Amino acid sequence: MISLMTVLGGLAAAGTFFAIGPERFWANWLVWSLMLLSVGLGALFLVALEHLCDARWSVPLRRTAERVSGLLVPACAALATALFSLKVLYPWARPEAAHIPAIAGKAAWLNIPFFSVRVLACVALWLLSWRVLAGSSAEQDLSCDAALSVRMRRFAPFFMAVMGLTTLVVSFDWVSSLEPEWYSDVMGVYLFAGSFLAGLAAVALAVCHLKGRGRLAELRFDHVYSLGGWLFAFTVFWSYIAFAQYMLMWYADLPEEVFWYAHRGHGAWRWVSLALAVTHFVIPFFALVPRDAKGDLDRLRWVAVLVLGAHFLDLYWLVFPVLGERPLFSWPELGFAAFFIGAALLWVRRSMKQGADMPVGDPFLEEGLAFKL
Amino acid sequence: MAERVFSVLGLFETPDALLAAVPRLKAKALGRLEAYTPYPVHGLEEAMGLRRSPLGGMVMVMGVLGTLTALLFQYWMNAVDYPLVTGGKDPSSWQAFVPIMFEVTVLFATFTAGLGMLLLLNKLPAFWHPFLDSEASKVATRDRFALAVEAEAGLLDAAAVSAALKAAGAASVETIPEPASARLVSINALLGLAAAGAAACVLAGAFMYWGIKLFPTLPPMSHMLAQPRLDAQMPSRFFRDSRGMRTPAEGAVARGGLPYPFDKDDQARGLANPLPRTEEVLRLGKKVFSNNCLICHGPLADGNPILTAAYGGKPANLQSKKFLDYPEGEIYHTIMRGKNAMPRLGDGFTEDERWAVIHYLRALQRAQHAKDSDL
Repeated sequence: MISLMTVLGGLAAAGTFFAIGPERFWANWLVWSLMLLSVGLGALFLVALEHLCDARWSVPLRRTAERVSGLLVPACAALATALFSLKVLYPWARPEAAHIPAIAGKAAWLNIPFFSVRVLACVALWLLSWRVLAGSSAEQDLSCDAALSVRMRRFAPFFMAVMGLTTLVVSFDWVSSLEPEWYSDVMGVYLFAGSFLAGLAAVALAVCHLKGRGRLAELRFDHVYSLGGWLFAFTVFWSYIAFAQYMLMWYADLPEEVFWYAHRGHGAWRWVSLALAVTHFVIPFFALVPRDAKGDLDRLRWVAVLVLGAHFLDLYWLVFPVLGERPLFSWPELGFAAFFIGAALLWVRRSMKQGADMPVGDPFLEEGLAFKL
Repeated sequence: MAERVFSVLGLFETPDALLAAVPRLKAKALGRLEAYTPYPVHGLEEAMGLRRSPLGGMVMVMGVLGTLTALLFQYWMNAVDYPLVTGGKDPSSWQAFVPIMFEVTVLFATFTAGLGMLLLLNKLPAFWHPFLDSEASKVATRDRFALAVEAEAGLLDAAAVSAALKAAGAASVETIPEPASARLVSINALLGLAAAGAAACVLAGAFMYWGIKLFPTLPPMSHMLAQPRLDAQMPSRFFRDSRGMRTPAEGAVARGGLPYPFDKDDQARGLANPLPRTEEVLRLGKKVFSNNCLICHGPLADGNPILTAAYGGKPANLQSKKFLDYPEGEIYHTIMRGKNAMPRLGDGFTEDERWAVIHYLRALQRAQHAKDSDL
């Protein structure tokens, strides 16, 4: 079923390239590469956060987060492939950019060789981090070696720096430079907030799915509640950052900044922006605000799906306005969604079939299972 | 009569011992259970069967109320009551309201959470609680865990409770007597309160003095005084004659003013008062007269005021025959150009004020020379 969806989606995606053109193909490709990347990085951030803070409550959940973070591998492949999109999507990569002073002034940073080096460096750092954090954990299942816990804990602060810097680079390179005259200092934080939120939603969805299948039986209300609490908190954090960025630009009303929002605030894009605010903040906020809701698996399942959808909408809203005045959404977008969702599900499902559902070799697993609110 | 018992209290060494004892005492149903622990003990709420706190709902309601308060308040102030265009934005722009809405939401919600928990739901502070007189209170804030069985409706079988607590593993048991009478607020507490209030007033006063008198004189606040604009009567190096104040260019007319063309009073004789004789106009005239004319011409306009002796001049008696018949146009001319010792005052008034004061003067004259038919 999922395989069929993936294959059909893949055909539609490939068809986009020839039937409609490379612009639409690469815009979709970029959105979905960033989607996979943000989910994978967000999940890995949750893993690293546990090691960094010496957290106990999330130890039983960690394997699920590690499995979701495996999406980093296809995400890195997709993002490296997206290097072919530079001349299609990015104005600074075209020869005429040299004659536009606002873009030519940024040529020291925005040039294809340096850009590619940055992308490959980020990819290397992400894969290394995933290898150390998820790999050591899997290794510990067999060896029960406490030294591996120490290794992961020592690596966690390094990953925090990697996460912060690479997210910043991704935000400048892949997102902001689609419209190279535009700039926003907080874009890195904005993407980080969305990324962690998407990672949390994916982990929550996976937990709900596994619990529904009778796996992760020892996971109690207290653990699920804490995960739901994170989801709730970062819904608010994302909204805070998103609004802060918008309000400062709206207030200052500088032509070189505000055109970015003006484009997204008029015509049909206005409704997309509104939908983003509703699906990314209003609905999840009120759905998760009651105490019981954060630990309710049924509630958490649909909120997680909604948040992932809203995160897709967020990335779509960041990338697609460069294609024109009207939001494009038709069979190519559905095809890409089918292909990437299907591929991601297959990828995660493969890892779900290997090894234990919890880090059974972790010396803190017992304490984690005994966690009470 | 033996003293009545408020509660019997057992001390436990560990939170686990306390948790284990709770269901055993609950099963015996000897009285109301209350636990005193130095920190929150996980699982105690469930073990004691405490009701779900209503605080969450209260916070939600107050938070939403805070959002709406801030929204409506700002909308009313900025868009309805006193619309000011700032930064070229529509005064009713919702974007500018959001930060305040967020802040007020948080303010209402946190105050509700904090004060609702302390005052409303836990009824704290309770300085006169009998537990505070017990020996156990000295260690239950440190490293012991106390479980009390409180009397319900004044009834408690102290011996049975004591035995039950010991059987449940209490290290020691203590009986807390009912206080002899409800303690009134002591005179010491009142004095303390008064002293604290006085100290707060002095402190607030000192802070206000600092904030208003001293703080503005310190940099960087004082930098606001150093501005490139010219103050009145100040010299300027910019102009060749080094005067800061400039005479208006030839033919310049002040905003809202009209040039007055006449030099002789008979030229102005033909001017007619354009204002109707309404109460509003007379009120305006009275205001102008009181603030400007009265000091020399006197409250009755009879040239007999307070200032005459000190001034040495002899202001005109406007109630004299000459001025009763004076044409209004000439009074207007006098206001505009002055007469004898009277300076020209007209530039300080608007057109309406000049004519209104003439109406008022006519009313004063009529009042002093009233005819029988006026009664």
